Amino acid sequence: MSKRIEELKVKIIDILNLQDVDPEHFDENERLVGGPLGIDSIDVLEMVVMVEKEYGVVINSQEVGERVFSSIASLAQYIEENASGSKS
Amino acid sequence: MTGRRVYIAGAGIISPLGSGLAATTEALRRNRSAIRPLDLFKLLSGEPLPVGQVDELEERAHLPRTHCLARTASLEAMADSVLPPEAVIVGTTTGGILTTEQLLRDQEQDKNAYRYHGLATVAEYIAGEVGCSGPALVVSTACSSGAVAIGMALEMLRRGEAVTVLAGGVDSLCRLTYYGFHSLQLVDREGCRPLDRDRHGMAVAEGSAMLLLTTEKPALPLAEIMGAGLSCDAYHPAAPHPEGRGARMAMEAALADAGLSPSDIDYISLHGTGTPENDLAEARAVNALFGTPPPVSSIKGATGHSLAAAGAIEAVVATIAVSEDLLPANTGWQHPDPALDLLPLTEPVNQPTMAVLSNSFGFGGNNGCLVVTRPESFSQPPRGQSSPCLAIHGFSALTGAGSTAATLALLAQGSPIGGTVDVDSVAKQLPPRLVRRLKRLPRMTLALAVEAREAAGLAEAPDAVFMGTGWGALSETYDFLTGLNNSNEQFPSPIDFVGSVHNGPAGQVAMLMGSTGANITMSGGDYSFEQAVLAADLVATDAEKNVLVVGADEAHLPLSPLFDLSVSPDAPLAEGGGAFCLNRRKEGAACLLRLPFYRQWTTANDIELLIESLGERGPLAGKYGLILAGIPAAAKEQGEEQLAFFLRLSGLKSPVLRYREFTGEFASASAVAAVMAASFLVSGKVPGNLAGAEDILPEDGPAAILVLGLGSYITAMEFLRP
Repeated sequence: MSKRIEELKVKIIDILNLQDVDPEHFDENERLVGGPLGIDSIDVLEMVVMVEKEYGVVINSQEVGERVFSSIASLAQYIEENASGSKS
Repeated sequence: MTGRRVYIAGAGIISPLGSGLAATTEALRRNRSAIRPLDLFKLLSGEPLPVGQVDELEERAHLPRTHCLARTASLEAMADSVLPPEAVIVGTTTGGILTTEQLLRDQEQDKNAYRYHGLATVAEYIAGEVGCSGPALVVSTACSSGAVAIGMALEMLRRGEAVTVLAGGVDSLCRLTYYGFHSLQLVDREGCRPLDRDRHGMAVAEGSAMLLLTTEKPALPLAEIMGAGLSCDAYHPAAPHPEGRGARMAMEAALADAGLSPSDIDYISLHGTGTPENDLAEARAVNALFGTPPPVSSIKGATGHSLAAAGAIEAVVATIAVSEDLLPANTGWQHPDPALDLLPLTEPVNQPTMAVLSNSFGFGGNNGCLVVTRPESFSQPPRGQSSPCLAIHGFSALTGAGSTAATLALLAQGSPIGGTVDVDSVAKQLPPRLVRRLKRLPRMTLALAVEAREAAGLAEAPDAVFMGTGWGALSETYDFLTGLNNSNEQFPSPIDFVGSVHNGPAGQVAMLMGSTGANITMSGGDYSFEQAVLAADLVATDAEKNVLVVGADEAHLPLSPLFDLSVSPDAPLAEGGGAFCLNRRKEGAACLLRLPFYRQWTTANDIELLIESLGERGPLAGKYGLILAGIPAAAKEQGEEQLAFFLRLSGLKSPVLRYREFTGEFASASAVAAVMAASFLVSGKVPGNLAGAEDILPEDGPAAILVLGLGSYITAMEFLRP
């Protein structure tokens, strides 16, 4: 689980180009969307694409998305629960 | 003083509802949706989503679908007209992209194959088809493009700059928009149900509508355009302001422009895309402004959302409403949404209709509203006198040499300034949160805008933003299409899609500066910056408000050498641009700017017309201390001939500087030339190293510099001492 979290931090920093954030100080429990990093709905959609591409996990409803992307920890958990065996 | 009335003399339309005004009217009466699964191009993965696809299009070999759609609508609008229009203004976002997508997939290297890629080619092609030799302009403000194009035409006609203008919008379906909106999860898999409680999004569509507008009253005018209102949310690149702030401002501006009050409006043709956020924001704005709104509906449940064409298509729907007394239904609507508190027409209604408000809102927060009325049903509001010159208060440049100071320093030594911009160091001056998602063009644009505004030192933030770009955000467009192809069409990037629209950079400027006035992006190939100046001169008439005018283009491999005829794959690439902070007040201005001439090149007679327009305000001899001549490499021979003829015929002896020899080849190089002109006037010195002579001191002599555009267009910008 913690490996997944660390992996997600790196991927998210990369795809969202969070240049002033380094993985070590990226708090997995901090509010991800609408929080201090300025992550908004377009970023969420970019993360949706990444999660589907990298883990085969589809998030296509706003309700699920809001819950899943509330923090990196919750995202990691959702992937853990929904990823197919071969990809996790 | 009341201005001229602007009549709709002819209308042409092609949409998923059918081809032609009669077929469209009939389809609206039937209230059936034309939305169905896409089959225009083959998908590599996934089931086809519902779209609004045109069935009866007469296609032509080698011509992109966008051009064919616009041709059909234009020929219908011109059918009863003997004379060609004096100008053509087309709103489009897709240009030849559907064709380009396939060419890039096939790794086509012949640049001739891409000759219709550019947005500018749509207006130029239409101008050719209808025999127009005046300006052919392209507005690209995403989903409000068609409405903004008509709004600009209205202003041009009121001022008497033309008697007839053909204006409208067009977009074709393509992978970029189909997958782009899908990636934003804005597509309703069950069709499109605007305003419905269960609405889930839009249906991406295509189509075109063109209006022949004239100030000469036709025997049987279809309708009158009485007002246009433009605004910008300055809120988010893709989402509307939640309370519909910009939407309300645009509606209010359109009503004020028409001299009407909300109670005069008999019907509102909503933007109503069917996305949850758009419909909510629009409903809030309509309710706030109207209290008890008149009948409303969105036709997008029947047509889908044809993007840049939508505003023009709906202007035609408004025309049908006032000419046939037919209010179309909100096709697909079933369940009231309590959150909206706005009930649309569920069936077509026949009732006397004098005035219609037509709404269009788009990405970048770009809003355009039109008021269409039965001819001469309302008296015209008084309009102000024509505005004085644009007054430049601050400017900035960005080139291969670097910032304004570095660029001017190199020029003073007579050295070239061409090359690519160090975009990373440019971005360091900008808020990191703002630029993290932005690639080359929006970063350059923001840097230019910030510096021009600072240089102007005006207290008030710019109200309106005008941008000219020949090619738009090439990096975002290329990365989106490459990501799409590489993932077998499974994983298109939403960030790249939002960034790929031509009006993205100007929208970013508006967000940074809080510019909630008009926000217009023009695309006219090598004359894009001149088009932005033209748009600013037409639209920014409020003497009290500051505006920004920016011209910028990015260099991109592999796209720039494929698209831009003047860019050689073997020569070093060049990019950059210039920005100006302007208003109409001479006091404290660095210099003044006029655009006396903008026409397509047809015959040598155009040079005589050019000379005539330059000499309108006094003798030409000795007027200019310098002529900056823009001759794109692809038009070298033609441009040199035009220049020689111009100099011979005008008798002007001013030194001539071919600025592209310094800036390198890129579409908005003329924006850098404009900065050169302004800075020379301010410093009172044209570096001798540049003009091949001693320093020229316009201070004791000529007080003006001429920036000429040559080649397929003839354009003239004058920079004058205040």
